[in-house]
Amino acid sequence: MAIIGEWVRRVGYLLRRGAREDELRREMEAHRAQMGAPPAFGNTLRLREEARDAWGWRWLDDLVHDTRFAWRTLRRSPGFALTAIVTLALGIGVNTGMFSFVNGLLLRPLYDDDVVLVAGERDFTYATYRDVQEGTTDIFAHVAAAASADFIGLDAGDGARSALVHIVTANYFLVFGAPPAHGRAFTAEEERLGAEIRVAIISYPLWEQLGADASVLGRLIRINGDQFTIVGVAREGFQGLSIPGPEVWLPLGARDTGLTLVGRLRPGIRVERAAAAVAAVGRRLDQAFPSADETYSLGIDRAGRRLLFMQAPGSGTGSLTGLVLLLMLMPGVVLLVACLSLADLLLARGHVRRQELAVRSSLGAGRLRLTRQILTEGLLLALAGGAIGLWLSTWAIKSLLASVRPLLPVAVTLPDVSIDWRVLLLTVAFSLFATLVFGAAPALALTRRAAAADLKRHTGDEGHRPGGIRLGNALVIGQIALSVLLLASGGLFLMSVVSAATADPGFRLDGGLVVQVDPGLAGYNEAQGRQAHLALIERLRAVPGVEAVSIGSRPPFTSIGDSRDVVPAGTPVPQSDIPGAVFSVIGRDYARTLGLPMLRGRDFTEAELLSGAGERVAIIDTELAEQLWPGEDALERLIQFVDVVDGVRSAENPPIRVVGIMPSVKHSLGDPRPYKHVYVPLGQHYESAMTLQLRLASEGGERAMVGTIARIVRDVDERLPVLRVATWRDHFNADFESSLYRVGAGIVSAFAGIALLLAVLGVYGVKSYVVSRRTREFGIRIAIGAEPRALLWQVLREGGRITAIGIGIGLLLAVGAGQFLQGILYGVNSIEPAVLVIAPLILVAASLLASYIPARRATRVDPTVTLRSE
Amino acid sequence: MMLVLRVLKTQPLHGYAIAQRIHLLSAEELRVEEGSLYPALQKLLIKGWVTAAWRASESRRQVREYHITASGRRQLAAEVAEYRRMATAIGLLLDKA
Repeated sequence: MAIIGEWVRRVGYLLRRGAREDELRREMEAHRAQMGAPPAFGNTLRLREEARDAWGWRWLDDLVHDTRFAWRTLRRSPGFALTAIVTLALGIGVNTGMFSFVNGLLLRPLYDDDVVLVAGERDFTYATYRDVQEGTTDIFAHVAAAASADFIGLDAGDGARSALVHIVTANYFLVFGAPPAHGRAFTAEEERLGAEIRVAIISYPLWEQLGADASVLGRLIRINGDQFTIVGVAREGFQGLSIPGPEVWLPLGARDTGLTLVGRLRPGIRVERAAAAVAAVGRRLDQAFPSADETYSLGIDRAGRRLLFMQAPGSGTGSLTGLVLLLMLMPGVVLLVACLSLADLLLARGHVRRQELAVRSSLGAGRLRLTRQILTEGLLLALAGGAIGLWLSTWAIKSLLASVRPLLPVAVTLPDVSIDWRVLLLTVAFSLFATLVFGAAPALALTRRAAAADLKRHTGDEGHRPGGIRLGNALVIGQIALSVLLLASGGLFLMSVVSAATADPGFRLDGGLVVQVDPGLAGYNEAQGRQAHLALIERLRAVPGVEAVSIGSRPPFTSIGDSRDVVPAGTPVPQSDIPGAVFSVIGRDYARTLGLPMLRGRDFTEAELLSGAGERVAIIDTELAEQLWPGEDALERLIQFVDVVDGVRSAENPPIRVVGIMPSVKHSLGDPRPYKHVYVPLGQHYESAMTLQLRLASEGGERAMVGTIARIVRDVDERLPVLRVATWRDHFNADFESSLYRVGAGIVSAFAGIALLLAVLGVYGVKSYVVSRRTREFGIRIAIGAEPRALLWQVLREGGRITAIGIGIGLLLAVGAGQFLQGILYGVNSIEPAVLVIAPLILVAASLLASYIPARRATRVDPTVTLRSE
Repeated sequence: MMLVLRVLKTQPLHGYAIAQRIHLLSAEELRVEEGSLYPALQKLLIKGWVTAAWRASESRRQVREYHITASGRRQLAAEVAEYRRMATAIGLLLDKA
């Protein structure tokens, strides 16, 4: 209490300084009058100052004074101030932005601590949910249930497309403390099992897309062919349990299994108590519904951290981890370059200011005071840099989010990425530290020494190289090396993008279109689904300009999905794992729509598409043929699928005759070699999700056809969920890995550019400093007849040596980084001569430019001025 | 500061009177210089151990009179006790060593 009172009084004194000082003055005057002996009292101003120190605000006065002084000093050298601030801002901005981004998407806990999951071993049904809810009313404020997020065909008026949907209970939004922004949440009636009430709550972005006004409520959208009424709009940025957030929420209705339970703890309820409560409910459930295999074993799971990205097709996640690692490392490298650059600048400035400091110190400025002034200057720079960095980082976050979007298969709500203040403070503190160490060190060294030496400036110490230059050079070498590293990495990414875009997918991309449909999503049964598939093939075949139409369940560059082990019929089944073949159901003309020939044998017949009766047939690709019968002809031979029952492999299925052999195709860019494929006709197997493939008679017009085809597909069957209509090339480019390389290339190139800029600033700073120190030398040399060109060359050459060393180290680093990137990137080697030549060339050019400006200044030295200034 | 608090304990005084009083009560041994009196008074104000009020003196001059507060009295007691303890200890040392 006493401390608080004291502070309150202190602040009171600070706020009413004028009045307080006046009081003090009057009081002292009174004192002097009473004493009647004025001389003994001495200097009242001094006394008043001392008395004032008791208020404890002296440091503030000094700070204000130092800040003003620092401001004036910086104003006098705007070039230095600007460079330093830009350097700091870039370092701070990039780091904060990137870290906030990665943190927001991948590392940060996603919910309040009060939001927890109820975990258990048995499947959660609606009944389980209600039991848990009833048994924990004193624990949870709300418990909601949600099915796992799912893809559906959504048509919000602009054609059907694939979208993420989440099926949830009525109180779901309350658990997250986020009731809908407009409209209402679901009702208990809508949630009830078997209710089949077709209402939907849409995401905020979708609402904006639909015009962002109240009339959206009550509008109809088509989901998997059924009409749903929009009753609510979720809050901006709301995701709920699904990361990324879905576009549409539907009431639980018919969903009864595989539920996830999530609850909000009542205030003050600890997780341990909640865990005990749900465990008790679990034990009651075990008694009521015993199962031999498993118990409910209910517990609490902190909703915690999840990985943003959905499992990517192919080997995408490996690359993703690598990319995330890179994303975290790159800003660190940039910050390092920024700090080195800043150190250069400050070092150079510190030496330039030696004379000034020496003068001030000999005029009686204390060492502490001088150091404090320099520190204040550093603080001011760091604050300005931090402020601009903050602005830069919000911008960086925005562009990062924009660049990540194409990686995601559907429009989703990304987590709210806001600036991480801890990171911002940390980076500011880090830069401040750098500023202080490099800025104050020369000052301290100075003030320690006798000032006299510095007062007598220009005493020929140009001859030996001061430590400042040596250190400066070392810093520049570091910057150049790191810039080469970043540039080379960026180059590798770019090369990878080019290789990915020009990669041979094993089939013809141009002149092809794909249409992904899934009648099962709209509730079609097998007969209706088959009917829809065939009707579409029939109709699309009749479109003018379309040469061939086929259909397949696993076209290239979609997920591998169903993979089966195949053996020659009648041979013993190996018990060890054999590489599986992609199992694909296809129509006629499959090879033709991919622009591929049938190598041997025949295509499927119309009859084989319609029914599975008759002999079972398959088409296999060359890879599989080579595996089954190396060096022999596989045509007309019999194959069998391997079953695994209780860990024992056997081939009990009817044998299948190989009627045709096709070339191999790839499924993702990362594959070292093509997958094996086995194709069976539509008649033998039904899959709901199919991709129609179209080949146009002429290449080049496919993009224009997308709209037409989408319309025709819709006319054939309005209720049919259409997930995608795209050209083959767009579909291929949307491949996860290939998008990943593009995003990566963009980000890494941006970093490389920033690092390059910083390195150039650093080179410029050091060169300017060197030239300014040697002004006298240059003046004399010009006076005795040196060619300005010769001087120019000398300065450039000296810069060249530093650059060469930096590049040498940088190249070594780049090769190391190449080793790492080789594992992530497509179609690049760890040593790419083109990259390793171009990256240093860019740096040489930039560094020459940065040296050229100060070098020219050296040649412009006016000998008379320099010599007279002695 | 202990001395200032001690003279204020008896009666409220203004700055000059405090200096006079300390001088007189110490049998003219102690003299508080203005240079240390006013910083001390400011510190006492900040700490909340004294309060100050303007008042017309006997000579009809405006003077600033300092009153000791309750917490000032507690502080004085604590400081006096501490001082006595130290003085005793020093005395013992001087006698015995």
